[in-house]
Amino acid sequence: MSGNVLDADVGIVGAGPGGMAAAAALAAAGLRVVVLDEAPRAGGQIFRQLPEGAHAHLAEPPSHDAGHVLLTAFAQSRVQLVSGATVWDVRPGRLWFEHDGASKLLRCQRIVLAPGAYDRCIPFPGWTLPGVLTAGALQVMVRGFGVVPGQRALVVGSGPLLLPTVTALLAAGVKVVAALEASSRWRALRALPAVLGNGTRAREAFWYARQLLRAGVRLQWGWTVFGCEGDGRVQRATIGKVDANGRPRRDTARTIDVDVVGAGFGLVPSIELGLRLGCRAQWNAVRGGHCLVVDGEQRTSVAGVFVAGEIAGIGGSAVAIAEGELAAAAILREVKGTAVPSAVVQRVQRERRAADAMLAAFAPLPGLHELAQPDTIVCRCEDVPLARAQAAAALHGDSLRAIKVGCRAGMGPCQARICGPSLQALACGQHYRAMDLPVVQVPLKVVRSATIVDAPTG
Amino acid sequence: MKRRIDGTGDRPAVAFTFAGQPCSGRAGDTVAMALWAAGEAVLRQSSKDGAPRSVLCNMGICYECLVVVDGVTVRACTTLVREGMRIERGGRP
Repeated sequence: MSGNVLDADVGIVGAGPGGMAAAAALAAAGLRVVVLDEAPRAGGQIFRQLPEGAHAHLAEPPSHDAGHVLLTAFAQSRVQLVSGATVWDVRPGRLWFEHDGASKLLRCQRIVLAPGAYDRCIPFPGWTLPGVLTAGALQVMVRGFGVVPGQRALVVGSGPLLLPTVTALLAAGVKVVAALEASSRWRALRALPAVLGNGTRAREAFWYARQLLRAGVRLQWGWTVFGCEGDGRVQRATIGKVDANGRPRRDTARTIDVDVVGAGFGLVPSIELGLRLGCRAQWNAVRGGHCLVVDGEQRTSVAGVFVAGEIAGIGGSAVAIAEGELAAAAILREVKGTAVPSAVVQRVQRERRAADAMLAAFAPLPGLHELAQPDTIVCRCEDVPLARAQAAAALHGDSLRAIKVGCRAGMGPCQARICGPSLQALACGQHYRAMDLPVVQVPLKVVRSATIVDAPTG
Repeated sequence: MKRRIDGTGDRPAVAFTFAGQPCSGRAGDTVAMALWAAGEAVLRQSSKDGAPRSVLCNMGICYECLVVVDGVTVRACTTLVREGMRIERGGRP
């Protein structure tokens, strides 16, 4: 059993930019650090690495330079990385996880949560067809595995992540038939000062613009997908214009032939581990919804629990790296009494300001919830169509819990990570507002029953 | 049709079966990506109407890619493919 219990000074969840930055800094200061990550290799979703042995150079934006620096520092550090680890329960100083079919426990003095985020899904007719994936899924497919998603792609959604999805597809040799940004060009222009005021972000925007121009791909503002069709797999998509609130203008609909669709309407912070620990969360629409609350040094409301990156609100890799370094500095102050460098604090504040200003231009458009039709599946785990979710809300009330109890939406294995962020807006027809805090349950992710029964204690 | 980016498939082949048919991927592939590269997109049937489902998030969040590997239900996108695996389509999540 002892082989299934790991000990560390600091346990970190997530080997993305935030987790790697914190881990490398802590290990450099002599602390024992164990990082648990669900993917096969370090990098997180943004700095995904191809499998060992794969040789290919895919075109990358300038922001990935920082990723390579970090990946090298991380690999050369004394950090113990456990890849393929699924964390299913957490308490202060304890992380239970499944790894290689075994039930394991990491005991540590402090925890840094850097689990990242996942794509915000907004249901539309035909989105359950094979070949319709999230924008993030396509990036993982290309950058993480070198697999070609299809031949003719449609990219839809809203926010800065549409661009890396398009460039990943181009790098894989896929023809991007259309790239549709639901926000209007004028709304997006509000992001311009934030982008141009930050050298790194300006270079990044220029790189993407050049890639799209070279491939002849034009980002269409104020457009989105109305639905997908196909026999066992997506073959056609109906696209059209939306108004300033995101409501579909049905008279503009036209149909295009595609065999793969990437949809990404922004990101949702993965806060489940924090909620399980009892960390305080608050609603921040610009940062993706419910985010964990931190003090000026990445501490949550629970002693010994720190966070970095998207879990404290969507901000991107530059924010995550800075926050990972700050979390490490804050821990080192507690352990060794070393001062937290003011430069690190200032960098976090600067990157957060820039990210907030940019994301404010892509805040969710409530009218996109009108894409779903009465028979469109909204909860994919439990196969709940929109009409049933609406009936449940009418009968039981508009809280997340009432809708779940009334129609089972959100009660499947994904624990409402996919349907939850839009469920209340869909079922109640209300405008986008603060949603109820999700209810988290153990196991936080589905694991074998033996993993729970045989869980190490101590 | 090209299913892998040049150079990314230069890894040892891994043989397995999918729905009873011989299939192969590369070392380091997840089950989901090995199957996608083999042209197999349909990973499970929905419980209500039997509609085909496939990879949605590709990062272990959505449970849409559930398959049965050697009798155990797993997420295809977080499970690395191994020699000799017997993989069947999944059912209800």
